[in-house]
Amino acid sequence: MSLSYTLRESVSGFRRTKLSSLLSIITIAISLLLLGIFAVLTIHATRFLDEIRARVELEVFLEEPVTRHEIDSLRAVIAGLDGVGTVVYVSKADAAAIFKKEFGEDIMNVLDFNPLPPSYKIGLAEGYRTAAHAERLERRLSTLTGVESVKYRKEYLEIIDERARIVHNISLGLGVLVGLSAIVLVSNTIRLAISAKRQIIRTMELVGATRMFIRMPFLLEGIMQGILGGGMAAGILYLLLAYAVRIISPDLPGLLRIEPAYYGAVVVAGAVLGWVGSTISVMRFIRPQGR
Amino acid sequence: MIRFTDVGFRYGAHAVLENVSFEIKPGDFVFLVGQTGSGKSTLLKLMYMDLKPTSGTVVVGKYISSSISKNATPHLRRTLGIIFQDYRLFDDRTVYENVAFTLHVTGVKGNEIKKRVLQSLASVGLSHQRNKLPAEISGGEQQRVVIARALVNNPHFLLADEPTGNLDPTTSRDILQLLKDINTRGTAVVMATHNYELVRRMNERILQVREGKVYDVELRTS
Repeated sequence: MSLSYTLRESVSGFRRTKLSSLLSIITIAISLLLLGIFAVLTIHATRFLDEIRARVELEVFLEEPVTRHEIDSLRAVIAGLDGVGTVVYVSKADAAAIFKKEFGEDIMNVLDFNPLPPSYKIGLAEGYRTAAHAERLERRLSTLTGVESVKYRKEYLEIIDERARIVHNISLGLGVLVGLSAIVLVSNTIRLAISAKRQIIRTMELVGATRMFIRMPFLLEGIMQGILGGGMAAGILYLLLAYAVRIISPDLPGLLRIEPAYYGAVVVAGAVLGWVGSTISVMRFIRPQGR
Repeated sequence: MIRFTDVGFRYGAHAVLENVSFEIKPGDFVFLVGQTGSGKSTLLKLMYMDLKPTSGTVVVGKYISSSISKNATPHLRRTLGIIFQDYRLFDDRTVYENVAFTLHVTGVKGNEIKKRVLQSLASVGLSHQRNKLPAEISGGEQQRVVIARALVNNPHFLLADEPTGNLDPTTSRDILQLLKDINTRGTAVVMATHNYELVRRMNERILQVREGKVYDVELRTS
């Protein structure tokens, strides 16, 4: 099979069926735009939940009295535990300062002594910021010598877990639905375009073209349409996000921040969509030779 | 060689052909005659294996209907030239491109394509029309383009399905003469037609398709 001829046929396929090609490109662009917007929303919902999770800390209160050496050894043990991200020591004096900052009163004036124990604030490592991991870590920390008690906002983390599960399930369900709709829509549009070329396909069959030779220009055409549709979707998505940032949060440019690679992924998704769509259409439309 | 052995073919419950046996040898010129709907086109389709017999066997060269694979079907068709009543030319391509198409499809290289297309167009007397679109030439010339396209692969057999069906009597005679000339150069021709007038003028073998059977008939000269 001549590759250059196949490429020429694919490109001239565009020329010969301008309207249906344009329709396929627009269909791919709209499908990908919907998927793209949906993915951006999902990414941001996930990012938002992750940021909340990152703020969750376990407070490990130490038994008193405690020596400098005990504080340091405990720190080493805690830092070595699974799921521990950051470890920050809060001395009695630091705790009193925080109290003053939060309540506006010096605790020494209220009680004549500082009852606040020294503690460690432990941030969870990435991948461990769930209620189940936090609970496991809490149990482990409670068994350590020198630890009086461990506290963290368990219910809060459980609620975040639940919300994340809902977001994940909805994303997955809608993503699959929108993705399948896009494939059906694109394959039908491409099928219409191929249907318009019945005569050329039939003649190719009768003059001895192999199935691969007949299919290849349509597949390449589908991929090219996908790339153009993907490019169009990426461009519109970029403009939409820029507009949304300007309207919603001009002071928070990071709010709808999307990596440049994401736009590349939209174009690649277009190529894949065009390829899958044209493959389905070609398989359904171009019958096996010799019935 | 094309050989039909006890071939039967049905469209659902309707039997089109039953126990058909005949043989066409290289270099033959054979008319397939019969009324419209008698099964002439079905016979041709069985030859280029667009259809498979529901019983019996069709052998075309080294290809056997019962064992040919989907991948081998295109290769069988490259040994045949197929001519249609409705031409099946591509309206948006020139005469040259229409003929060259067959060679592109079969993977022939650039310079060889040019040489063979020009030779083929010359053999049907259409070299001067090579840059025209089908719509810019007459019906008879369009049929000549189809013949050139069928010939360009140097087929062993030329299968023509009502090639004169859309043409006036004079042009039909010209096309028939052209097919005869091609046959004289060694290519076997199988031509389906319901035009008995044309057949009567030629002293060639006739296979008549009637009520699902194929009969070798003698031409009655009056």
